Amino acid sequence: MEAPPCSQVEELQQEQEHGSSLVVGLSLCDSAPLLWRFQDLKTVRSNSLVGALLGSLPRTPRQNIRLGRPLLLMPEEERVLREHHGAAALSARNQDAAGAAELRQRYEEEQQRSLEEQSILALEDRKSALLRAMTSSSGSESGAGSDEALQCRLLALEQNFSFPRSALAVQLSTARAGLSQCQEDRAFLEADWPIREQDSPRRDARYQVFRDLWGRGFFLTSAGKFGGDFLVYPGDPLRFHAHFIAVCLTLDESICMLDVLSVARLGSNVKKTVLLCSPAPDGSVHYTSLQWSGMM
Amino acid sequence: MPGSLTMARTAAEVIRISRYASPCELFAARSRSHKIPARGQKDFYPDDSEEQRQRLQQSLDEHWNLIAEERVERLGNLVKATWVPSDQIVELQTPAGKFWQTMGFSAEGKQYLLPEEALYLMECGNLLVFHQDLPLSIQDGYEMFLSSDGVSLQQYQVFGHLKRLGYVVHRFDPSSEPSSYVRQLNLPQSRERGGRQLKRKRSPSPTPTCSHTKTTGESLAEKMEDDDKLPESHLMTSAEPPEPQTASPHSAAKGQARTWWMMDAPELEADKISSPGSPSGRLRWNFSTIPFPDLGSTSRPRCMVPVDPSLLPRNVTVGVCDLDSWMRKINLRKVKMSVKEQQREKRRRRWDVNKDREVQRCRNWAEYHELLARRQAKRQGRPAHLWNREVKPLHDPTQPISTAELLEKISVVKSTNLLEGASRLKCSEEWRICFNVYQPDSVADFKKSNPGKPYSRMCVCSFDGPVPDLRVIKQLAFQSGDVPIVYAVVDHGDISFYTFKDFQLPRDVYA
Repeated sequence: MEAPPCSQVEELQQEQEHGSSLVVGLSLCDSAPLLWRFQDLKTVRSNSLVGALLGSLPRTPRQNIRLGRPLLLMPEEERVLREHHGAAALSARNQDAAGAAELRQRYEEEQQRSLEEQSILALEDRKSALLRAMTSSSGSESGAGSDEALQCRLLALEQNFSFPRSALAVQLSTARAGLSQCQEDRAFLEADWPIREQDSPRRDARYQVFRDLWGRGFFLTSAGKFGGDFLVYPGDPLRFHAHFIAVCLTLDESICMLDVLSVARLGSNVKKTVLLCSPAPDGSVHYTSLQWSGMM
Repeated sequence: MPGSLTMARTAAEVIRISRYASPCELFAARSRSHKIPARGQKDFYPDDSEEQRQRLQQSLDEHWNLIAEERVERLGNLVKATWVPSDQIVELQTPAGKFWQTMGFSAEGKQYLLPEEALYLMECGNLLVFHQDLPLSIQDGYEMFLSSDGVSLQQYQVFGHLKRLGYVVHRFDPSSEPSSYVRQLNLPQSRERGGRQLKRKRSPSPTPTCSHTKTTGESLAEKMEDDDKLPESHLMTSAEPPEPQTASPHSAAKGQARTWWMMDAPELEADKISSPGSPSGRLRWNFSTIPFPDLGSTSRPRCMVPVDPSLLPRNVTVGVCDLDSWMRKINLRKVKMSVKEQQREKRRRRWDVNKDREVQRCRNWAEYHELLARRQAKRQGRPAHLWNREVKPLHDPTQPISTAELLEKISVVKSTNLLEGASRLKCSEEWRICFNVYQPDSVADFKKSNPGKPYSRMCVCSFDGPVPDLRVIKQLAFQSGDVPIVYAVVDHGDISFYTFKDFQLPRDVYA
């Protein structure tokens, strides 16, 4: 594996020169970086960063197979975004009194407008349902008589119709409505996400390996359940199985034979190749794959 | 090429997608489908084929449709509440729905929800929480309700995971858990679950049940003393130590040795009296010190030793035994011996000690005694070179011993169980039990005031953090009592559940 991993970075710089920078809004929850806005999730995935979904899926909240927003980023993913100036802090919730009062007024107005519009829509809906029912039942008959009856019924419907507030459909937003409301606010979205992680040789090794594999076009997710650091997919995890379990070690770290055996056994059980990855001082990464060969 | 960067859409497009849905869209949301598409088979390797690309695009489109969808509900179906940051609690403004059976608590006439419960209900689309008269988004809920002081993000992940599966999950409160003794007495439990949350600023009040159980415990012990079944009291598993009074009738009656009571007593002849041992020793009989006269041997029987009265049941006295009549009743038939046995008998009767060459080699009585001792030892399987030194064999092979006891003797590593010594351990700062988990099928008759024994208790940790060591496992297991502890290990999106179980190696069939 000799190809240098810099093609990725060059392209990113070219994009920035074009003036259309790719920036996603991160917000911290209990010191974990989360992505809430749907567009940000799409952007991040199109750059082969997968993340992990944490929330309930709005359509079917009471199951664990498919989850919904927010998206949690791995520390390595967060760092990649930061180093490519793609991570910006989303503004916090507006807490001051003046701003809150204005927002409250806007909210009330919007609710009222929504109520009126939905009321009209509901009435239209009922009218067309009535029309469908009447024309289908009296299909053979035609003439002014049935027409008049229809008009009477419609009038009666309109007079007696009421749309209670409890029938109003409201949205429980997933992401906080913030910058995306006003176009000019985007200018204030500075991609200056601070450095959050502490330096440790282990974390550094993990990041070097992540960056190298990501640069080669692989999709990486976390692999705690498989006894390794990353699961390496040749394509989008939605469509492909993982090929490798990457275990990151520094070059001078010694590893016990029993650990090698256990991770090799685990890999063969789940039909994935184990990769021992070590970043070299010159920036490249050394990979060693383990293959379990039986005695014939 | 996969991995190359793509340009973000123009700003206008971004705004259109992520703003609030229009009233028209909200209205239309009533008739949305509630099914999620099943995921198809995955491919092994990307081969740049058009078919694969299309399938990938289809999967992605489905995925984005689901992710982008927002929660839309009728206002009448939503329970409304407000967030109270000072108490870190959510106060309901409209009456609670079906979730009230397993979540929330009442205090001062109002209904409240814990922050993690409120956030879960928000995600389910059942609850609308207001703060400063504005509705909170799910993002607001995550950022305001979750923190490392209260419920952390990882703990909420585990909470949500279990709730979505249907379990009933409550916070664990160590001070309101009854001890195993209290549970044994089967006292009615009362739980003031919610009030504790609001009174958090004050120091926790001692539970009223503790003092109550102490008095009942004492009265039970007194009743045991008055009971006439004294030996049984030694075997009861209660926490109270056996009162000295229970053993006093025994010791008062006989001030003699209870040599056969104790396993470790040295071999004694029956008429020796050793120092009185403690009567509360183990009730095991040392048969090597109880003499059973051998009346059947051909040699003349010795005089019958009087029976130790402590061997006899109470109120039974034994007089002098007339041996002659018994002796006449045994050995009535001549023993049929084989030729070999007859020869052996003849040799035994004719045996003359002086003909023995080894005896002839002895020059004095001392040597003769040594010879006898050596022969005795060899016959008994106690060779002198083994038994006359400082380091002796661990066990005399001629002595009877059960397998369990033998294994005990030879074991260097003693087996132990998880809770041994656990009561002495101090609580650790980083590790604590977070939740009680009750099974889903108990939801129908679940009572918040008396939930019963949990199915398990959760301790939340992560793969980044340390593995729980034995000390932590013991301490948490002790705190949990007889409810198993499950360690929920969070790894970004995944949660793995682990438990540690005691395992006993089989040692003896009868042990």
